Amino acid sequence: MIDTFHTGMIAASLCIIIAFFSFLKETDDLHRLLLTDLASVMALFLIALVGTDLAEALILPGLVVTISKLMALAEIYLVKEGLQKNSPSRILDIEVLQSAPAILASILVIYGIILSGFSGGAVAGLGVIFYLVCKGHQERFELIETVSGYAWVAWIAAFFIILIFPSQWFLAVMIAGGAILIKVTAKLSLIGTMRGESDV
Amino acid sequence: MNAEFIIGFGLIILGTVATAWPSPKDYITRLINLELPAFGILLVMLSFDETIALLTFIAVTAISTFLFVRVIEKKEGIP
Repeated sequence: MIDTFHTGMIAASLCIIIAFFSFLKETDDLHRLLLTDLASVMALFLIALVGTDLAEALILPGLVVTISKLMALAEIYLVKEGLQKNSPSRILDIEVLQSAPAILASILVIYGIILSGFSGGAVAGLGVIFYLVCKGHQERFELIETVSGYAWVAWIAAFFIILIFPSQWFLAVMIAGGAILIKVTAKLSLIGTMRGESDV
Repeated sequence: MNAEFIIGFGLIILGTVATAWPSPKDYITRLINLELPAFGILLVMLSFDETIALLTFIAVTAISTFLFVRVIEKKEGIP
């Protein structure tokens, strides 16, 4: 009798072989960048097959590593091809992108604050990215960096509380959750400033 | 082995083949085909009750799509 895990393993190995052969045949660098995302999906599928809390704990850092790797590779690609100053002749003009961002961004930020912690930070950060992408931005990097620094200090302080006064663990967990929420939101909102301007 | 797992599993295999050999071989087709295995893995995560992983994966997929669109836009949109 073949169970779920073994079926999944066979499928995953099949997919990995397919992805590997398409990698071998590919010569264009941007196509390879797209296939990198496919490979990361395969890796996540393998981890998800474990199907316990361990899998969930392993998927979160896997996702973070994936997105930071993709961002770095995309920047390297742009620098290598000399496309960094290359702005498109016509920016996408969609009417929803003019009217919707305020409502959608506030919904996402509120939902992120309710979730709290890392995932909440990611969701709230998406809201901020969406707002910045649609509405444009002024140079407010100093403010974002200051907020991010204070959040970092609060996170460290929460760890000291949990080590020195273990009876106050609930307070420490709440501080750490709030701080990591603010920190991830601030970092992700920097991505929203990438489009349009040629300074990044 | 429930229905979500079987559907997600099929979507991952089909999506991998579709992404490995896209029919008109250009960037946008490959980017759109990449959504198929991503949706498949969402269903697999749903069948194993991995809620936080699922939510974070949705957020990360949105950001990576944004990244790819930005790179493709710069590559194709030569003034």
